[in-house]
Amino acid sequence: MTDRRETWLFLLPGLALLVVGFIFPIARMLVLSVQGPDGHTVDQFARFFQDTFYPSILWRTVYLSALITAICAAIGFPLAYIMARSGPRVRLWLVIMVILPLMTSVVVRTFGWMVLLSRSGLIASTLRDFGLVGRSFQLMHTETAIVLGMVQVLLPFMVLSLLGVIIRLDPRLEEAARTMGCSFLQTMRRVVLPLAAPGLLAGSILVFTLSASSFVTPALLGGPRIEVLAGSIYKNVTQTLDWNFAAAQAVILFAGIALLLIPYLRLGRRAHG
Amino acid sequence: MSDLTLTNITKSFGKVEVLRGIDLTIRSGEFVSLLGASGCGKTTLLRIVAGLEGVSTGKVEIAGADVTDLPPEKRDIAMMFQSYALLPHMSVAENVRFPLRMRRVGTREEQDAKVKAALETVQLTHLADRAPRQLSGGQQQRVALARAIVSNPKVLLLDEPLSNLDARLREEMQVELIEIHRRIGLTTLFVTHDQDEALSLSDRVVLMNAGAIEQEAPPREIYDAPATAYASSFLGAANLVPARIAGGLATLADGQTLPIASGAPDGNATLALRQENVDFLSEGGLAAKVITRVYLGSRHRYILDLAGQTISVLAPASVMLEPGSEARIGIAPDRIRILPG
Ligand SMILES: Nc1ncnc2c1ncn2[C@@H]1O[C@H](COP(=O)(O)OP(=O)(O)OP(=O)(O)O)[C@@H](O)[C@H]1O
Ligand SMILES: [Mg+2]
Repeated sequence: MTDRRETWLFLLPGLALLVVGFIFPIARMLVLSVQGPDGHTVDQFARFFQDTFYPSILWRTVYLSALITAICAAIGFPLAYIMARSGPRVRLWLVIMVILPLMTSVVVRTFGWMVLLSRSGLIASTLRDFGLVGRSFQLMHTETAIVLGMVQVLLPFMVLSLLGVIIRLDPRLEEAARTMGCSFLQTMRRVVLPLAAPGLLAGSILVFTLSASSFVTPALLGGPRIEVLAGSIYKNVTQTLDWNFAAAQAVILFAGIALLLIPYLRLGRRAHG
Repeated sequence: MSDLTLTNITKSFGKVEVLRGIDLTIRSGEFVSLLGASGCGKTTLLRIVAGLEGVSTGKVEIAGADVTDLPPEKRDIAMMFQSYALLPHMSVAENVRFPLRMRRVGTREEQDAKVKAALETVQLTHLADRAPRQLSGGQQQRVALARAIVSNPKVLLLDEPLSNLDARLREEMQVELIEIHRRIGLTTLFVTHDQDEALSLSDRVVLMNAGAIEQEAPPREIYDAPATAYASSFLGAANLVPARIAGGLATLADGQTLPIASGAPDGNATLALRQENVDFLSEGGLAAKVITRVYLGSRHRYILDLAGQTISVLAPASVMLEPGSEARIGIAPDRIRILPG
């Protein structure tokens, strides 16, 4: 009886935050997206799909997020494994190193990438010196730049999700696999990777949703011509002040992410058995 | 042909020398147990044979081939871990099949047959499709055993495979191990710190002490004729009593004498007296003071003070002596083992 009440009491702050900070704005957004000058309308959604412009932005958002997630997983898994298997001191330093990008402001980070990626930047000028690229070559304001910048910021989420799982795996399982004929890489593939699946799943969901909904880094590194959906929403809210259309785009992004998450969550349920 | 040869193996972790020159040869099909106190380096030696740990110096040969620098997967061994190390994301049958799959042994049908045979050996056929976490400890252990024997390795390594079991299950598993070994005859190196287990299971017992081999001999021999004081105290709780030998008599520190078998050289020596070989007499023999009596069900254990040494003696439950009283004890001369020093 009291247990019940106490549970509710514990839930209250989080629940309140969720309602005020999430449910309410989402509901408001849903309403806005179907609001027309005279009653309810789906005009905003029709406008989104009326030519290829906005769908292509949506598509770019999805595939860039997928690419970023895949790269984070590919870099994050070995990194998390090494962290899990090194001593506590080394691990601490590695964790600090991995989350360092999160501690710097997006402006500083972007500036760093500009130094590297712009037309006069390190990479472009080096490639030019070797005669590999033309004069106008630059990586700034390309999708590559967005991917690089986003991977840098989102890698910690992947690494820490994986680390939490891998660190709990018994190293003797790997040793047992070795005595049963697995090489090191086979051990990774047959033992560590399947057992780290829950962490990989959690990390992927985090990275994917965060990258699909972020707009500052893509806007700064991708430039005005390479838009992602979140950036387009931002533009509609702050520049064209077309709130209804912005809301419709937000609903589409929200629904898109939710749709992609469903099979993932299925997988997750299986991985947890 | 010897199946496993270790030559002058040493191993240090940093400055700590854990193994100090191990030489050991195990014949094909032999069952050898590695016995020793906790921390004496048994597991380390086993891991070196498996290739999970490198050597500092020395050589490991399996079936005549030098494998010292080969990684574990390239050695034809199987190892059963103390913690079983069953792969939690695979069923029992998949676990047992795993070494066959990774070593590409035969076709799928042949693998099926081998998995089935191995599971029959450990009597777990009915649980083939279970996940490891749905099994009891003893069942998991048997799966681990099936997985170790399924690929018919040149050398089977068992690291205290029975240590997590209750007494009854443990005895059952010991019988099963003997049976399996009799049937398949794998060259086996078995680590334990339980001397009864070592004596009852193996063809040969290797007693380790602080990173070196103290004595290696067949069970009967090592039990009846331990070569050193350490060996006799480790095997079967022998009591060590210093004495001076002269002319077929041993003189204890307090001047009492007892007859010994002929042949022992004169001089200072240590008498090793097994607790089950000491008899209580009504008169004669040696005088000893009763310190404690411990009731063991079928027997009593007496802790006695004999010439200033504390000794432990097993007696029938009918022998009732009060602490503080004097006991008369005797030992048959041929049951006294005389160690130099
Ligand atoms: N990786 C390691 N680093 C440093 N020291 C180690 C390492 N592994 C083992 N040791 C040391 O080596 C010694 C032997 O260890 P080992 O595990 O071989 O003992 P053991 O005979 O198997 O003991 P037990 O019966 O308790 O299992 C111990 O003193 C242990 O502290
Ligand atoms: Mg050990």
